[in-house]
Amino acid sequence: MTALQPSAILTARYARAFDAAVIVVVAGWHLAGAGSLLAAHLGDYRSDPFQIAGWLALAAAIAAGSVHLLRGSAEPGPAWMVAGAAFVISTAVAAACPPGRMLETDWAWGTAGWIGLLAMLRRPVAEFVIFLTLEALATLGVLLHDDPHRLALAGFITVLFSSAGLQLAACVAARALNVTAQQAAEAAAREAAATTQKVIADRLYTARRSRWLALQETLGPPLSGLAAGSADPGDDGVRRRCGAEAASLRRLFAESDYSPNPLIHELLATADVAERRGVAVDIETLGAIPVMPPEIRRAITDIAIAALTAAVSRARVIVNATGAGIAVSFLIDSPAGTAVPASAPGLVVESQRDGDDLWMEAQWTVS
Amino acid sequence: MDRVVRVAIVEDHPVVIEGVTSWLNAYPQRRIEVTQVVPDIGTLQPLTRLQADVVILDLELGGRMIMDEISGLAAGGQRIVVFSAHGDPRIIDAVIDAGACAFVAKDEGRDHLFDAVLAVADDRPYVTRSQAKAILADRRPGRPALSGKEHEALLLWFQGMSKASVARRMSISENTVRQYIDRARIKYAAAGRPAPTKDALLARAIEDGIIQPAEVALYTSYASGYASGQMPPSAPKGT
Repeated sequence: MTALQPSAILTARYARAFDAAVIVVVAGWHLAGAGSLLAAHLGDYRSDPFQIAGWLALAAAIAAGSVHLLRGSAEPGPAWMVAGAAFVISTAVAAACPPGRMLETDWAWGTAGWIGLLAMLRRPVAEFVIFLTLEALATLGVLLHDDPHRLALAGFITVLFSSAGLQLAACVAARALNVTAQQAAEAAAREAAATTQKVIADRLYTARRSRWLALQETLGPPLSGLAAGSADPGDDGVRRRCGAEAASLRRLFAESDYSPNPLIHELLATADVAERRGVAVDIETLGAIPVMPPEIRRAITDIAIAALTAAVSRARVIVNATGAGIAVSFLIDSPAGTAVPASAPGLVVESQRDGDDLWMEAQWTVS
Repeated sequence: MDRVVRVAIVEDHPVVIEGVTSWLNAYPQRRIEVTQVVPDIGTLQPLTRLQADVVILDLELGGRMIMDEISGLAAGGQRIVVFSAHGDPRIIDAVIDAGACAFVAKDEGRDHLFDAVLAVADDRPYVTRSQAKAILADRRPGRPALSGKEHEALLLWFQGMSKASVARRMSISENTVRQYIDRARIKYAAAGRPAPTKDALLARAIEDGIIQPAEVALYTSYASGYASGQMPPSAPKGT
């Protein structure tokens, strides 16, 4: 299961608030509007219990429609079932109104329209229009059967426009609000992502800049020495120092690259500099490399720079990852007297010299 | 051993043939003699058994991986040194399981090839650094278990130390270092699918005192369920 996008969560929250508002309006209308009309005419109907039963049945339809809506379902089946029930009940209730007084005493038509809105809030507007049309035609049929004279028709059209028109407007507004909410949510998400990106970029820039400044301090003297002619490019010490600085620079560039395995990436960058000097470098890995703190990675690559700079013609680098940590070994050929890097905090560095061969190993254990 | 070791080369790259032949012919006292060079195993089959002590085999012939044919060759008792650029540990595991005696990666060069050919001709184990890596990287269920010392010796050897340096580091004799590494290798000869070449290695190891006969049975039972023919998925199947 994929994680929800923040924009989707926001949109869902907007939609839920709107759904709740629609339910309150529909239930309020049924209770106050339709309920008071029904109460006012109790005693006029052919059968009061039938009307009350109709009112209760529509209340049940509202409950069912509310559950359907709050579940976030957009399925046509349940939507049309609720709307269909409202259609049948409201038509039956209209047909059972006192003769000649249907327009005056029918409390159910308006409610049926609102229930339709509730049930079809997630269906295309056209479906709701079809429902409203069917409902209006059925009511018209009952009316024509009951009292087909002109005055009644004028009343019908007035009621039709005031109730169905309002319901349709609410339905269209819901769509518009939904689209706006989605756009707002997406804009908010885009902005949040951009802000995060900027914070990351700023931090990376600051970190890299501080390293560059630190590098300039060590890089400056050999460069100006070479430029001024006070340092001899043929001198082994000068060459080693320049090599080490070149490798540090290369690492700085490698750090800014994205790589799924930063340690190997930086080791390769360091090896690249040695290879340009004619050193044959082998890098091999054993096991899956664990995630390590950046300062440990830097300490390891510092040792790699020292080792590969000291190598005369060959270097073998083995990255051995075990469950408990990582050991990076270097086997180089280098003349006696090459300094072995001191242990860095968190690292155990060991070494052994056999003739021209110098072996070093930096170990880090997951704490 | 002072006899001349006869070698057949199965290789289809002229440069490699030329290089390997000149290396072997330049061996001191001409102790190694190249008796046959063929471009594929099919040509080799009828002739070799009597003519060559060791076959140096390239894994990729005519653009095809021929790993499946190793077991057939080993079943006939032919000692094989695989000399290949495909140094992936899983490929090496599969090649050794199929009955090859040693694996030398092409970039491991001349001296390892010499040592491997001479050791294998005598049915003795030889572990190159690439093979050490394959043993260290082996995570297959039922793989042979190495002792702590065997693992340490193998790891230092893989890291590039000479056996003398490994000995100094572990404060033991160079001979003991060889024994640890050889024992690790021999455990693999006792594991997986049986092959006459593996039996020959085991028999010689017992003779040389590297392992005790009782240990062989132990490794074999340990390795039961160790699936034979575990070819890496990347290796194309031959016919």
